[in-house]
Amino acid sequence: MSFREKSAWVMGAIMLATGLWYAQLVAAAPQAPVIGPLIPYVLAVIVLSIVAQVILAVASPKEADAPADERERAAIDRAGHFSGAVLGFGVITAIVMHIGGWSATLLVHAIVGALIVSTIAEYALQIFYFRRATR
Amino acid sequence: MSKRPPITNRVRELREEHDRISQAALGEAVGVTRHTIIAIEQGRYSPSLETAFRIARRFGVGVEDVFGWEGE
Repeated sequence: MSFREKSAWVMGAIMLATGLWYAQLVAAAPQAPVIGPLIPYVLAVIVLSIVAQVILAVASPKEADAPADERERAAIDRAGHFSGAVLGFGVITAIVMHIGGWSATLLVHAIVGALIVSTIAEYALQIFYFRRATR
Repeated sequence: MSKRPPITNRVRELREEHDRISQAALGEAVGVTRHTIIAIEQGRYSPSLETAFRIARRFGVGVEDVFGWEGE
């Protein structure tokens, strides 16, 4: 498994685990101020990402230093393209729900949720494109 | 699974003819990862024209001596 695939697996797992935690925090107090769950969530993502990337880089220092090659760049670009569509769909849905009566607090949570889902989709698609036949 | 590219190649054969150069060493010489060389050898990935030329030049042969069109 290449360094970038390992990184995508680890980052995807971090985003999934922290995303579920964020959803739990929001479900426990849906109308509480947004800052309450958002700050610990963002801090957890930053800290876990740094720790994971440091561990991966220490385990494979040469690969970690090398830039993505043409096949990896194509996979990353394609995954980013589709995850952008996921994010767009989530944001538009959140806005429609807000117009339909959701509070501003829920709107923010829904947009953060769309960002989390699109990031997970991006890592999952990267893994898919790294593995499948690519032109 | 998507369709395989219709491009054939002799990369593995040429590596073995040239002192059994490793996939990692070839990748380093042409600017791609070992995993991309593996994908090329398995026919799962068609490299860019630039990488195709770099691979051919590394072996001292022409691009058409390394890559071909399926069925030809």
